[in-house]
Amino acid sequence: MDLQKRLLWMTCLFALALTLAATVQALPTRVGHLEVELVSPVRTVQPGQPFEVGLHFTLDDHWHLYWQNPGDAGLPPKMTWSLPDGFVVEPIRWPIPEKTITPPLASYGYSHELIVPLRITPPPTLAVGQTVTLSGKASWLVCREECVPGDAQLSLMLEVADHLQPDSIWAPKFAAIQYPSEADFAVQSDFDGTHFQLRFPLPDKSTAALVLAEFYSGDRGVIDHIASQPISIVDGSVQLTIPKNEYLIDRPDSLQGLLVLTNSDSTKSYVQFVSSLSEDQPVAVTATTTETSFWQAILFAFIGGLILNLMPCVLPVLSLKILGFVNHADATHTKPLHHGMIFTAGVLVSFWLLAGTLLFLKAGGEQLGWGFQLQSPIFLVVITSFIFLFGLNLLGLFELGTSFASAGAVAAGKTGFGGSFLNGVTATIVATPCTAPFMGSALGYSLAQPAWIAMLIFTSIALGMAAPYLALSASPKLLRYVPRPGRWMETFKQFLGFVLLATVLWLLWVLGIQIGTAGLIFILAALLLLAVAGWIIGRWDTLVATTRAKLLARGSALVLAAAALVIGISGASFENVAVATRSNEKGAIAWETFTPERVEELRTAGKPIFIDFTAAWCLSCQVNEKVAFSSADVQQRFLDLGIVPLKADWTARDQVIAQALARFGRNSVPLYVLYHNSATEPILLPEILTPGIVLEALNSITDLPANNSPTRQVTIHGEEPLKERS
Amino acid sequence: MKKLLSMALGLLMLSTALVASDATAPETVQTATVDKAAPNFTLTDVNGKTHSLSDFKGKFVVLEWVNFDCPFVKKHYGAKNMQTLQAAYTKKEVVWLSICSSNKGKQGYFEGKELTDRITAEGHSASAYLIDTDGKVGKLYGAKTTPNMYVINPEGVLIYAGAIDNTPSPNPDDIKTSTNYVAAALDAAMAGKPVAVKTSAPYGCGVKY
Repeated sequence: MDLQKRLLWMTCLFALALTLAATVQALPTRVGHLEVELVSPVRTVQPGQPFEVGLHFTLDDHWHLYWQNPGDAGLPPKMTWSLPDGFVVEPIRWPIPEKTITPPLASYGYSHELIVPLRITPPPTLAVGQTVTLSGKASWLVCREECVPGDAQLSLMLEVADHLQPDSIWAPKFAAIQYPSEADFAVQSDFDGTHFQLRFPLPDKSTAALVLAEFYSGDRGVIDHIASQPISIVDGSVQLTIPKNEYLIDRPDSLQGLLVLTNSDSTKSYVQFVSSLSEDQPVAVTATTTETSFWQAILFAFIGGLILNLMPCVLPVLSLKILGFVNHADATHTKPLHHGMIFTAGVLVSFWLLAGTLLFLKAGGEQLGWGFQLQSPIFLVVITSFIFLFGLNLLGLFELGTSFASAGAVAAGKTGFGGSFLNGVTATIVATPCTAPFMGSALGYSLAQPAWIAMLIFTSIALGMAAPYLALSASPKLLRYVPRPGRWMETFKQFLGFVLLATVLWLLWVLGIQIGTAGLIFILAALLLLAVAGWIIGRWDTLVATTRAKLLARGSALVLAAAALVIGISGASFENVAVATRSNEKGAIAWETFTPERVEELRTAGKPIFIDFTAAWCLSCQVNEKVAFSSADVQQRFLDLGIVPLKADWTARDQVIAQALARFGRNSVPLYVLYHNSATEPILLPEILTPGIVLEALNSITDLPANNSPTRQVTIHGEEPLKERS
Repeated sequence: MKKLLSMALGLLMLSTALVASDATAPETVQTATVDKAAPNFTLTDVNGKTHSLSDFKGKFVVLEWVNFDCPFVKKHYGAKNMQTLQAAYTKKEVVWLSICSSNKGKQGYFEGKELTDRITAEGHSASAYLIDTDGKVGKLYGAKTTPNMYVINPEGVLIYAGAIDNTPSPNPDDIKTSTNYVAAALDAAMAGKPVAVKTSAPYGCGVKY
């Protein structure tokens, strides 16, 4: 009996000791796909002194827990405390989450390991020497593809002492928790019923340049978590536009959460803020995002369209049109005005088609700019083949009309309205590489606007481009001054054939950069087949040929053209392995390849930088390079000033360059940026350069004191005042 | 020449199409909006019968995004909350459509006998269990979680979208103390009163598209 009693006592004591040991050591508990325990960076607590505890989760691979705002799905971990009397617990201070995107959902959470820290203040009346037990029920949702809710009863025993004794294991772990920093600047917010707008000052220039900003809402159901958040820089402040959550109806009182700022050196900073939504301030969502106004943009677009006709891109087509007018001048039976209008329609429709495609793709989040279609090798192959065939046709290899005499007129679009329409289409397509450089700011402005404004601006460019033809065709009197048709036309037509072949050369050069020599050989083979097809048509599909011969000729030409198409498209799928080599190919200026990191490095080092945003398909970029950068004076000045020249080559699609362009309010090349040093705003040069313009810009930085950063307006060229931003 | 023209135009169109397709732009779908007409759709139910939303004009329709293996769905099915709602409102002529947008191989996707057995085991009492394997209807409605609820009035207007109730948790004990938004919307609309809460951020597991 006695023995039994003693045994019972001993068992009880042993069990008690075990329990105590377990709670003191706070062994992690395994629940489902994670281990959880309650931990603290201190071993002792001091009366009245706040201390931290944390839920420590160790997750299995691929599983994650959620942030305070889980995003579109999920649930944050929770702790329900049962604390001794007088203990006060503060809300969770959330560590920095990661954003995970699995379309159409986005979520914010944590993987691998997480400490959810809480601050507890014990009462000052706590007696030193006693032991306190902190306990509660932790619950969470842990997800991979699937989700599993879990909970655990957790406790932690801490001794009360007259000081806080740090725990050697947990103190460093708590110190290493990555928290967002508190905003040391004001964040203004607005809401217009569909979009939130956040504005905050551009971070200090001495730190790396800001390239990306994103807002993680701390509250559920406020913002559209997956939508892109367009960024613009206005008057030294950054403006983010964020679509509202589809489930949000009532205007929230405030916005709170994190600003995630990505710098050019790829470092990220997380800034926490609360911003009350102003009640009475109406939001000016788009009007202030760029300095170009709507009417200014429309006007620039029209004038730009007019001047486009003189650009090297459009000249071959222009010549064809002149040929057409020569014919119309004499032909009383056709109505030139009709042809002029059809031509205008051709230009309009193709501008709408290109702009529409661009806007559609942009709406889908693509980083594209004007001239985007020239970044697609397939598009280039098709346009090259088309111009090549057109050239051969003008050279007389084959005639598709039935009468030899009308051939010139056919090519010039006399015989059919289809010809005039196609001339319009061709002119537009050939013009795009020139369009982009010429109207950089108008295009940049238009693409930041709602789609209908963008379309209006494109319409204005198209009308500007078609205006001279329309004027000529509307007033037949003017046509009298054009030379009369005659034998010279045949000569002129053949000459134009060579102009088109020269255009083909240029397109092949652009293609070569994108697809390399191996790909280029395929394209040339395709062109060869097309030429043979054209020759067969010209040789055997003639008036004097028998029907059988004609059919045979057409059949084999068709087979050859189909083969050319297949070969051309397979050639277009090649990739150029040596894309980067273009940056160093010519001239005395030793161009380096542009990266945002390099820019930051150089700016920090206080070196002046010149960035050339260019592309092989951008004709004016090539002209600028030839004219301005091959000048010995310019090259010497570059050396004298120790300017580091960086070349950003946008020939092929490139997200980094697209984003860098966007930071300057542009989405097209060329763009020339001159940084003096980290302390000054960069200078933007005009889109058409002369050695004089470059030298003037270079000189202007020599007399700038190092920490002078005024907002300067430099008008060097007539087109527009230069804007300076960073 | 005409032939060359049409061929060239054809090639141009083709190349534009190629440019467009190679850019992998996400589909821009107009998702369902409260107070606007609910977009029509047609889906096949577990028995192979097709149902279109337009078939139910003149009736209240509830859309319930379901995934039996999601803990938040388990919360409402395990506690018989969802089945009770389904039974109560289908009795009042409401058409209750449960829609599963889980992709093949993802959680919540079942087929054949496994699916019919599961539906029976869960005591599913809705008008139909619709299968949306390619997620088209889910994305059309912007369904983000399971459960995600939508109420459509007899005129075809979406009158409620969002969570089933106001307590985002997987704990069945919370159902008793929660306000059920779907029931509230249906009751109000049936009584000719305005719906007090028209949307709320849905909670639950992500739809397994």
